[in-house]
Amino acid sequence: MPEPSLDYFLADKPGAELTHPLIAEACQTLRRNRNEYLATLGNEQIISKLAEVGNLWRSPDYPLRQMALDADPEETGFPREVLAAGLDACFAEWTQEKFFMLLTQEFGDPTRLQSFASQPNRTFSMVNGPQLIAHIAPGNLPVPVFQSIAFGLLLRSAQFIKCASGKSLLPRLFGHSLHFVEPGMAASLEIAEWDGGNESLEPALFAEADCVTVNGSDNTVEAIRQRLPLGKRLVGYGHRVSFGYVEKQANEVMGTQAIISRAADDVVAWNQHGCLSPHVIYVEQFGSLKPERFAEMLAEELEVRNEAMPRGPISTKEAASISTTRRFYKIRSANNVGALIWESEETTDWTVVYEDEKQFQTSPLNRFIFVKPIEHIEEALHVLEPVRESVSTVGLAASEARMRELALPLAQWGVPRICALSQMQRPPLAWRHDGRPPLGELIRWTDLETA
Amino acid sequence: MIPFTSLAEACSAISSFIRCCADEPSTEGFDELALGLFAFQFVHNTPYANFCRTENHTPETVADWRDIPAVSTRVLKSLDLTVLPVADRETVFRSSGTTQTNRSRHFHSRDSLAVYHTSLWTWFAEHLLDESANRLLFLCPELAQAPKSSLVHMMDAVAKRLANRERCFGADGQWRIDGEAAVDFLHDCATQNEPVTILGTAFSFVHLLDHLDTAALEFQLPSGSAAMETGGYKGRSREMPKAELHQAITTKLGVASERIICEYGMCELSSQAYDGKLGQANAAPRLFRFPPWARARVVSPETLADAELGQAGLLQVVDLANVSSVFSLQTEDLAKRHADGFELLGRAELAESRGCSLMNLTHA
Repeated sequence: MPEPSLDYFLADKPGAELTHPLIAEACQTLRRNRNEYLATLGNEQIISKLAEVGNLWRSPDYPLRQMALDADPEETGFPREVLAAGLDACFAEWTQEKFFMLLTQEFGDPTRLQSFASQPNRTFSMVNGPQLIAHIAPGNLPVPVFQSIAFGLLLRSAQFIKCASGKSLLPRLFGHSLHFVEPGMAASLEIAEWDGGNESLEPALFAEADCVTVNGSDNTVEAIRQRLPLGKRLVGYGHRVSFGYVEKQANEVMGTQAIISRAADDVVAWNQHGCLSPHVIYVEQFGSLKPERFAEMLAEELEVRNEAMPRGPISTKEAASISTTRRFYKIRSANNVGALIWESEETTDWTVVYEDEKQFQTSPLNRFIFVKPIEHIEEALHVLEPVRESVSTVGLAASEARMRELALPLAQWGVPRICALSQMQRPPLAWRHDGRPPLGELIRWTDLETA
Repeated sequence: MIPFTSLAEACSAISSFIRCCADEPSTEGFDELALGLFAFQFVHNTPYANFCRTENHTPETVADWRDIPAVSTRVLKSLDLTVLPVADRETVFRSSGTTQTNRSRHFHSRDSLAVYHTSLWTWFAEHLLDESANRLLFLCPELAQAPKSSLVHMMDAVAKRLANRERCFGADGQWRIDGEAAVDFLHDCATQNEPVTILGTAFSFVHLLDHLDTAALEFQLPSGSAAMETGGYKGRSREMPKAELHQAITTKLGVASERIICEYGMCELSSQAYDGKLGQANAAPRLFRFPPWARARVVSPETLADAELGQAGLLQVVDLANVSSVFSLQTEDLAKRHADGFELLGRAELAESRGCSLMNLTHA
């Protein structure tokens, strides 16, 4: 198949000058297209097309996927192998069944998107999505953008996706696949890129959109909140951190090497970018697998993984952060003061630091993981108190029975997502980001009281 | 290699080297002194020696000063690395910081402090003194009010060396600018037609300029006036891009742009780098240069090998004047390597560091 030409979205035209009126006009066109076509589609039509797109992206010879994998890692943020694994994990979830399950989870009855459906209390209700959503896309991972677009389509919303400068390639490729599969649906989609905080373009976008979603740093979310006109709905996802937790008998049930391999999955996935990747893995002390040994084995595994799935080049700033943090721990390691370090030679490809000190520690990422001993879950929750508000995901290695036992205190403490170690960066399609309903925050309910 | 049997001997040798360099700029002798000082610090600083051993770089194996293991300045925020026994730690410099756990400590004995003075003065004089005998306005507290600040110590040393010049310390112990005192002093300089050199951190200059704005004042200081600005805002004022700050110093104070010199220094070092000399055209990009007794390297953060010319990396400094602490340091600053100096690019963005109580090593 010849390489498809990509000239459809604003972001496809690098020289195009974006102006306030242009953005406003684009939004009005999107809204019109949406009203004429997308709003008239049924769930089955939309979902079958989304599943088709998901399927295409999983097939190795799909030209748009190949273009993504062949792109300069500087443009996508990831080397080929890391990106391929991330795309596979994401699109494996895009089945018709799972999309319908998502609608059922959110609305009880998927038909509520098209007509009134009865409720247990004998009233009727239906849901309506915003006519136009503006997405402020995150700069690090592409998956949230793909999901946002899919969710917007499920809600029959026109969508304007604003990417950071130079960061639109993957959203564009995804948008083009939609365009090839179902041009009518893609006619409600626009993708553009500019540097965040633009005082001319963003007011136009915010004025036109009914709802704005933001994935980014807390500062980004807050800055947009302050600039949004009153009455506009904001769905903001700020900075979160995640950690792994290995229960002391897990190795006897699952096998030590299996646990190490699962931990490595989470460190390698998306090179630890994104809020779902672990900064620290806590390993319960006093089991047969010692935390220091866990760290050492994880280091060996990361070296092996780096062969099969190289981390790839990173920016000078990122490497400097790793290098400086390594030097900090090396002198402690050399003096036996509660820290040990394992690292890739001559590169910053991977680093494992074992540290006695139990407090949560932010990692410089890009395959830099802390391993810390912990007595039990209560102690973990105690030392994690300073980050309680910002925890996203806990990846557990434990027997199924212990997993349920551990989940209860974690949930009561405030963790929104608990999953098996190795699945941290592979949330299901219907997962509740930061504990919030994925579609529920975007829509408006209408109740019909006939009695 | 020059073997040192005592700190006094090392201090004396390095002071002589600095004085020689001052008379006739030459770097001959640096390598031998560096290897000698490495051997000395290795013997008298056990935690550092342990680190060097794990790096497989010890006095027996190191033949090139570039191979002397560099300690991250970040380490010094939680670990005292010094050859000085407790009784000899007469002076301590602390970096600025909000808590006890994220501030570096740099200890000096009487001997090592003397080396520090020789080092700072020699390179300061080379860059910031010319024929005009300027008055001095220090935008910092007097030494008695901030005895642990290495910058204040340096300013105090400069003031003492230039004791016959009129001077004013224009900030209190909390580094708040005494706007009135500073303005009076500047006003006097202007009316008496006495050139003045204003020395301070970037944030102090911002405070001074803000004060002038509020008071609706501007100065046209006599020609020959100068400014020495040293980096960093540390959250103490709004941040201004450097070019904008320098522009404001020129328009609001009347200091000619070619007479604004930037200094790069830190509490963990005993030598400073400057990005220009008074009275010399300083072409852009302005490059920082350390004195011949301190060498800067820009290293690739990936491999820790020298960055290529024009490439960015982490800045390492080997500063012979750091006789009593660790003289090979890796800073947290990113710089671009040039043939004749380095261009400062700013801080590496580090993951949030938290102080660690487990770092209290004791050592010989």
